Amino acid sequence: MPRPKYRSRSLRRLQKKLPGGKTKQVYIRRKPEIHKCAECGAELKGIPRLSAIKAKNTAKTKKRPERPYGGFLCAKCAREKLKKEARL
Amino acid sequence: MTKTREVLGCRGLKMYQRGRLCIKIAGRDAGRKCIIIDVIDKHHVMIDGETRRRKCNVKHLEPLDTMLKVTKNAPRTEVVRLFKTLNIDLKQTKPKKKTERPKKLRKKKAKPVKQPVKKTTKKEEEKIKKQIRETQAKPLSEKPKKEGVLIKKKERQKKRQT
Repeated sequence: MPRPKYRSRSLRRLQKKLPGGKTKQVYIRRKPEIHKCAECGAELKGIPRLSAIKAKNTAKTKKRPERPYGGFLCAKCAREKLKKEARL
Repeated sequence: MTKTREVLGCRGLKMYQRGRLCIKIAGRDAGRKCIIIDVIDKHHVMIDGETRRRKCNVKHLEPLDTMLKVTKNAPRTEVVRLFKTLNIDLKQTKPKKKTERPKKLRKKKAKPVKQPVKKTTKKEEEKIKKQIRETQAKPLSEKPKKEGVLIKKKERQKKRQT
């Protein structure tokens, strides 16, 4: 039974093999999931997987692409949306 | 509609001609209006307006209804004037003066005075090394040797004599 500190499910358990042949359990903190497009569900690019504390300390431009709907829609969906707006 | 654009390219269609007002749909300046001032080849045009003056792929533009009269490769001032008729104010930046890079001034430390070092030639170096070896080297008889080594040495000496 792991001690209370290690029972949290925000920690991932990994079995690591040591050079002597023994296996050791390692606890690694989970990262947030990759952000997905709001329309099509494709994985968005240019967004690092940072925890809330690390994201607070990074610049705004380093967390999303410099594009309208960047970080919200994928490039394809953003293009379609802008086309529709133009054709109105 | 989209198929013909790809097949015919830029020159086949009458949409992407000089003077056509477009909206850019890709890039960091997407959603901004621009005017085509020059046609470069089948797929590229030169644009200017709310965007920077640059080459652009036809696929990244969405043409609008209006056509304006522009000269080929019109200067920025003319584009600003044209956009004013459409009630769009464009940014006009003055050319920046080139300033020199500020040089880093480092505090000069007093250099230590170098005493002239006598350069020794190879012969002199060898002489010095020999002297060191002679003073440090022990005579062979004092070194304790293993029995086996002494026996081997005697055998070798015998062999040489015969």
